Amino acid sequence: MIKLDHVTKKYGTKTAVQDVSLDIAAGELFAFLGPNGAGKTTTIKMMCGLLFPTSGTVSIGGHDLCRDGDRARQLLSYVPDQPFLYEKLTGREFLQFIADMYGLSRAQSAQRVAEMIELFELHEFIDDLTERYSHGMRQRTVFAAALVHEPRVLIVDEPTVGLDPHSVRRLKDLLRRQADRGTTVFLSSHSLDVVEELADRIAIIEHGRLVACGTLKALRQQAAVDGPLEDVFLTLTRPLEDKVTKL
Amino acid sequence: MNQALLFQRLRVQLLRNSWHVMVRQSSMRPLTILLCSLIVWVFVFTISWGGFLFLHTEIGVPLTGEIVGILLDLLFLSLAVLLIFSSGLILYSSLFTSPETAFLLSSPVAADQVFAYKFQGAVAFSSWAFLLLGAPILIAYGLVCEAGWYFYVLLPLFFLGFVLLPGSLGGLAALLIVNYFPKRRKQVLGICLAALALTLTVWIYRMTTASPSELWRDEMREAVTRLLSYFQFTRNPLAPSHWVSLGLRRVVRGEVGVALYYLALVWSNGLFFYLIAAVASTWLYRRGYNRMTTGSDFWANGRRLLAARDTVSQLAGSTRRQMPAVRREFWMDRLLYGVLFFAHPCTRLLLIKDFRTFRRDPQQWGQILAFCGLMLLYFLNIRRFVEDVSGPYQNSISFLNLCAVALLLCTYTGRFVYPMLSLEGSRFWILGLLPFQREQLLWGKFAFSLTGGCLIAGGLVLASDLMLLMPILPVLLHLLTVAVLAAGLSGLSVGLGAIMPNFRENDPSKIAAGFGGTLNLVAGLLFLLLILGLMAAPWHMGAYLAMIPLLSEIDPGPALLSWGFLGTGVVLGLFAGIACVILPLRAGVRALREMEF
Repeated sequence: MIKLDHVTKKYGTKTAVQDVSLDIAAGELFAFLGPNGAGKTTTIKMMCGLLFPTSGTVSIGGHDLCRDGDRARQLLSYVPDQPFLYEKLTGREFLQFIADMYGLSRAQSAQRVAEMIELFELHEFIDDLTERYSHGMRQRTVFAAALVHEPRVLIVDEPTVGLDPHSVRRLKDLLRRQADRGTTVFLSSHSLDVVEELADRIAIIEHGRLVACGTLKALRQQAAVDGPLEDVFLTLTRPLEDKVTKL
Repeated sequence: MNQALLFQRLRVQLLRNSWHVMVRQSSMRPLTILLCSLIVWVFVFTISWGGFLFLHTEIGVPLTGEIVGILLDLLFLSLAVLLIFSSGLILYSSLFTSPETAFLLSSPVAADQVFAYKFQGAVAFSSWAFLLLGAPILIAYGLVCEAGWYFYVLLPLFFLGFVLLPGSLGGLAALLIVNYFPKRRKQVLGICLAALALTLTVWIYRMTTASPSELWRDEMREAVTRLLSYFQFTRNPLAPSHWVSLGLRRVVRGEVGVALYYLALVWSNGLFFYLIAAVASTWLYRRGYNRMTTGSDFWANGRRLLAARDTVSQLAGSTRRQMPAVRREFWMDRLLYGVLFFAHPCTRLLLIKDFRTFRRDPQQWGQILAFCGLMLLYFLNIRRFVEDVSGPYQNSISFLNLCAVALLLCTYTGRFVYPMLSLEGSRFWILGLLPFQREQLLWGKFAFSLTGGCLIAGGLVLASDLMLLMPILPVLLHLLTVAVLAAGLSGLSVGLGAIMPNFRENDPSKIAAGFGGTLNLVAGLLFLLLILGLMAAPWHMGAYLAMIPLLSEIDPGPALLSWGFLGTGVVLGLFAGIACVILPLRAGVRALREMEF
């Protein structure tokens, strides 16, 4: 469903992503990890069509994002780490706008908006302007908007930041449920416990290069660590001088 | 739903909800805005109506003739240039840097639809001032010319068609600059503005060097012909501004058929250029966003040069990086820090921060620089306009120049100083937690504004008075007036900025154009009128009365009266200035102390 083929992205003279290839199947919950500045957000932005690769191709559902971007974007939803909401729209108006943007019919959109309000328990504030929402309310509205058109790919960047434990639990259940229903979930996060609990496969990127990709078991073998994901991650992304010292 | 309709519905919803919020929060706010707009509209209308009437009845200038035609040409040409820059800048920020951009570009909406949506917003935002300032002028023109009803019907159609063209050019320029100069956007803008300023300077210089010494030597008719020749460029048959001017004059004459031809010309060209911009956006918008974020240079040479520069700096051992922080500071910062030796160290640091923010944003100081440059140019060439700078000319021109500088000062504080506190935005908690009293923050901003205001306005007034060979007393009086104005306007802007902060907005122009900004501007204008009336007008009035020989011989009373007025006015003006510093700042300090983070 998501395919990155030898993707390289340069910012001027600096290489942010170097020769990354990924193939993520439908219904897979794929986690993308990496230290700050490793190239995670750049990779995600290329998958959403916001940035174009310097070389290589990115495709969603078989549609190349450079050549057939609008069709590719029709299949996906992107929830960034700092999601955007129109401050002077109510939650309902925002959901309706998204439904219309993705071309849902009037009946479909009415049904889907009602379902999302139910699913995310938005009743209490859905008719208030979003400028009055708390962080949790905003996050729920953003996820409702992301799922209102039933995307086949859901890309989520740092979704758990600032959420209380109840909201994190709800979010984890939601992501798992989406993957079980056949949606490809691409999750970028620093919350290693969430990733360890949810992910079918995990990729780790460091300095723009993919250093590991596979199931948690495969990553443990690669790192030669039999512990939690945190230990695996720290071993695989240890600074170069540490690795040399260890040797 | 059709994407174009979708965005129209979005705009209507956003406007409707904003209006409801504004009315719910305070019904006074929309009423005040409407009232202020109405006052400005009526004022401009009255002045224009009187002006056209004077031209027509007193001087006998035919209102549908060439002289008025040139005035209209100049009005629309200036408007076109301003619209190109303002709509280009607004489109650039809304297409590429607004938080909405990434949201829309990650959706399946077509790039040209996003462009169209943003284009409408940018053109409406950049041209609304014309409705406020241009419409009363043209309606007054129509009334004095006794134009038929069709003039008032065609007027908005001409205007709507006309704004399409500069708006499209501005949008196209924004797309091209971001695509081909992604990392040198500000430099390109700077070069364009410099080229514009240079052209304007050369034109003004040529005109001023020719008039009036050369002009008035000729016969009147030849003189006017010579003067008109300097405006010939505004009458280029290919200039859309000329089509609008011609069209409107033809409507006034009752030649509706010809006027409709010009209207069609304006609309067809406007739509054609919009089409070009919209088609270009399908290719360039997403690519431009990518290039701007990525920062890739268009020319490989540029990239190689950058790489070479990096290598050289690495080989040089990057000595700059090893220098202590203080030594790496810009000389202007060090100078300011030294000049403010008397202030509290925290206040000095805050001032340096504000100054750095200000000077690193060319959009901020570029406008002030352009205004000041033009004004200085005019002051330095003032003697070319008026050969005899003594007597009534000297008196009235120096007062008018003082008024112009005072207006510039009012604009400076309203546009740049008022939004300063609001621009701290989400970072305000950092200032709130700093180990100093919060009032120091306001005093710091006040000192920054006062210093800048006194330096700019004082320098300009001094230049004007020196060029007009003014006696020492009025020069000192003008400088005192400017100091009081700078203090009072700074106090008002800083104080009101603290009372009505808008931490949600990042754009200073939008903060200045909001309710608080408008209120500050109106209060500033009233204060300006009061101070000019109290401190400067009595001396000029007295000097004028003293120039009437018969009056001064028969009755020396008016001259003595003016001295009395002068003294009283200066004292009252000083009190008013002090009040305008203390009262708003005290209210601002109170608001700041009660502010929660």
